[in-house]
Amino acid sequence: MSPMQAVILAAGEGNRLRPLTRSRPKAMIPVANRPIIEYVIHSLLENGIRDIVVVVGYRKEYVIRYLNQLDVPIQVVVQERQLGTADALRSAESEIAGDFLLLPGDNYISPTSIARIKTERNAMLYTEHPSPSNFGVVVIKNGFVEKILEKPEDAPTFTVSTGVFSFTPDIFGYLRSNEIPDAIAGMLADGEKIRAIPAEDWQDAIYSWDLLKMNARMLRDLAPATSGTVSTTASLRGRVRIGKGTTIGENTVIQGPVVIGEDCEIGPNAVIMPQTSIASRVKIEPFTYLKDSLIMDDVTVGSHSRIVSAVFGQGCILGDHTTTYPKEAFFEVGGGVTKSEFGAVLGDGVRAAPFTTFKNCVAGNNVSIEEGRVVVGLIEDNTRVI
Amino acid sequence: MCGIVGYIGRREATPLLIQGLKRLEYRGYDSFGIATVGSEIDVFKKQGRISESEAGTVVLGGSVGIGHTRWATHGEPNDSNAHPHTDCTGRLALVHNGVIENYIELKKQLLERGHIFRSETDTEVIVHLLEENFTGDLLEAVKKTVPLLEGSYAILAVSAHDDRIVAARDCSPLVLGIGDGELFAASDMTPLLEHTERIIFLEDGDIAEISPERVEIYHDGAKVERSVELVNWGIEDAKKGGFAHYMLKEIFEQPQAFYETIRAGISDAVQEMIRDAEEITLVACGTSYHTALIFKYLAEPLCRIPVRVELGSEFKYYPPPLRGLVIAVTQSGETADTIAALKMAKAHNCPTLAITNVQGSTVTRIADTTLMMRAGPEISVAATKSYIAQLAALMEIVNVRCDGKYDDLLQHAHLAIGEVLLQEMQGAVALCREAEHVFFVGRGPFYPVSMEGALKMKEISYVHAEGYAAGELKHGPFALLTPETPVVAICPPGSTYGVMISNIKEMKARRAPIIALGKKGDTELAEIVDIFIPIPDSDPMVQVLTTSVALQLLSYHTACALARDVDKPRNLAKSVTVE
Repeated sequence: MSPMQAVILAAGEGNRLRPLTRSRPKAMIPVANRPIIEYVIHSLLENGIRDIVVVVGYRKEYVIRYLNQLDVPIQVVVQERQLGTADALRSAESEIAGDFLLLPGDNYISPTSIARIKTERNAMLYTEHPSPSNFGVVVIKNGFVEKILEKPEDAPTFTVSTGVFSFTPDIFGYLRSNEIPDAIAGMLADGEKIRAIPAEDWQDAIYSWDLLKMNARMLRDLAPATSGTVSTTASLRGRVRIGKGTTIGENTVIQGPVVIGEDCEIGPNAVIMPQTSIASRVKIEPFTYLKDSLIMDDVTVGSHSRIVSAVFGQGCILGDHTTTYPKEAFFEVGGGVTKSEFGAVLGDGVRAAPFTTFKNCVAGNNVSIEEGRVVVGLIEDNTRVI
Repeated sequence: MCGIVGYIGRREATPLLIQGLKRLEYRGYDSFGIATVGSEIDVFKKQGRISESEAGTVVLGGSVGIGHTRWATHGEPNDSNAHPHTDCTGRLALVHNGVIENYIELKKQLLERGHIFRSETDTEVIVHLLEENFTGDLLEAVKKTVPLLEGSYAILAVSAHDDRIVAARDCSPLVLGIGDGELFAASDMTPLLEHTERIIFLEDGDIAEISPERVEIYHDGAKVERSVELVNWGIEDAKKGGFAHYMLKEIFEQPQAFYETIRAGISDAVQEMIRDAEEITLVACGTSYHTALIFKYLAEPLCRIPVRVELGSEFKYYPPPLRGLVIAVTQSGETADTIAALKMAKAHNCPTLAITNVQGSTVTRIADTTLMMRAGPEISVAATKSYIAQLAALMEIVNVRCDGKYDDLLQHAHLAIGEVLLQEMQGAVALCREAEHVFFVGRGPFYPVSMEGALKMKEISYVHAEGYAAGELKHGPFALLTPETPVVAICPPGSTYGVMISNIKEMKARRAPIIALGKKGDTELAEIVDIFIPIPDSDPMVQVLTTSVALQLLSYHTACALARDVDKPRNLAKSVTVE
């Protein structure tokens, strides 16, 4: 048998994660300082699968740039218009020679899960999820798929599709519509058997605040390492990873798991609590406290701030005494209402003057906020809060 | 401005030479050829580009060889003018980059002595001279030959029955790459990066004898040591990946090129030189000339220092009075005119500073100090990320003169560049692709930005374009305005905004379609123009960057819409190493 191939779908925007998807597709959102797709590629490599095709589309330049920097050669195909998953797979057809795995590029899948499916001919990985209506719900009988219901209002079971499949090239004969579940239905109607295999670990972020949970999960596997300059009076406990060029100032306390990228300036006297990811070129000014947060590149957080349960997009500049205040609230996203508890999700380039308080707030890209406001709920891109 | 490569080792030379030449194609692509050494010398050469021809099918045996990709200077591009050239006996073969200025005289003498020339090139005289000096030792023959040559050269020579390559350089670039039991030579580092990171930069006047295990270098007859340097460019930087063109890849690398140049900072020696300067003269060509002009517009009001900008090609023949700091701006570090000007500045005892992208390039050896830009290898002929990195370096100079006032601004500027990259261009492209002429106008620093926008447009899309200071349009070019000549106006907020708006209205009155770049949310401007391209609101220094990038995208997409060869525009080569 020829070595197994894998097709990763990374063309879709993932619009329920707006405002974070303005400059990158969901697969490129960094979680624990690595884009989600990197975990998928890593899991494939762990299983010896090196012949990888990535379908790109939305903001493809950013994806291709990133893929080029990896050590493994990755084949890139472009889906010109984002019509659906089956259409995306169709654009990779010319690169496929035999049996292959199909994986979404914007979910985490563990290496063990892939080991379970890679030797199957027609199979899917499923998992249990407390809110199955956001996914393709799978009805399973005797270890085989009986049917898939795409985002049903009333889900008959809690088993959902992870979007990870193993296929033979016959699948290309079933791609009549633009969605994979239709192709599966076609195969089932023809009497084809599709084995249902439970995934060992799989994570998805449907809404932007779900990234915090995913971030905490990914930080669990963090390999500690310290480069950069760490002050002798700083205290590092637990799993902490610090990139090169980063300075950790005096009396800073870091309680892992925490990952910090390159060329950052943290402290003096900052406190970084568990489940926090800080990307590159980030500046955390003195006396600031961070916990349960995901901070992307080029962010500055002013001194005396308290940041809890927050996602900050690239290049946010927040003045001193910024507070994010986790609170439970209802949000209307993509036509549905959902309940959630988090402090703030800020798009790229948000600027907040000193003494801003974010309370369960999703602020769009380039929002600017004047001094001393309390900002709540959804705020559109480019808004000025005065 | 041709490219040369050489290989000696245990592997088959042909595929390595072809691969190396493909990487050097940006230096010229009129014709190419290779020669390998076995019991005889085998030569294959051909007019046209490597990638377009049957290069893959070239089978010349041997593990020693030389290759050449040509940008014609003497003799039109055809099969016989392509390198390598051989002597009358066919025992010697040679590739050459540069120009032999006394070749007519040498050729006359050689013809009188009975040599038969098969090409119109200046290069062929070298190989016939080698033939005359050859008594079985190629190294000795090269040593005797090069003193007869006037002009610039980087040469690689081989002879039959000999496991050696002899290299020599003067005023043309040549680097050696040291592998494991094998050696590489090339015009620059790009072809070497996939094989080794250990590089020797030869100096002017060096002659090197290259064998698989070692290199011996001679200078003025004596053996010398040249240090081996480790280069930090990765090969992935020079690969296209999944991008349609190198240019698009390089456009998207600009935020990184900018912040890496800023973060690299300026050494104390250079800072001191900048602080001490009472007057600055910049010498540059092409795109670098435009960045130098932008520097003038930024530095004169912000740092209150007189700045003069000179074209390298004019400087040598019409030198201005020389005093104060002289800065040479060149991406490749090999631009012949700029280097000649720098040498003159040195001769006048001016402190000299080079701003370049290529570690170890010629200009770094001549200037007193060097400020490296961190753009990484730039392959596309049209400069994009090197332009942005040059601006980063020049803005950092402004910042040093202003005691770090712009630290914060420069550290975040790359985010604004990233934002412009998301900009759609369809409307503006639709106008430009149909046009025969496009005008670019701006004021202040946006005047050189317009010139750069026009240069990009003509060089890659072949649409005639000119950049003007907006106020100058009325003094002549106005006569050319028609409903078919789009005008690209750069109209950011600031002191010139009002007068730009009047200029735009005047042009509108002549029914010229207007494409305007303005601050995001500027509805007043958006209403009076045909196509509005929003630019993030920021400081004028950052707007210089963002408007430049928007214009690059406009040219790129226009060239794509016209199906042009974006990365290798006709008649051009990346670094101009001839006058």
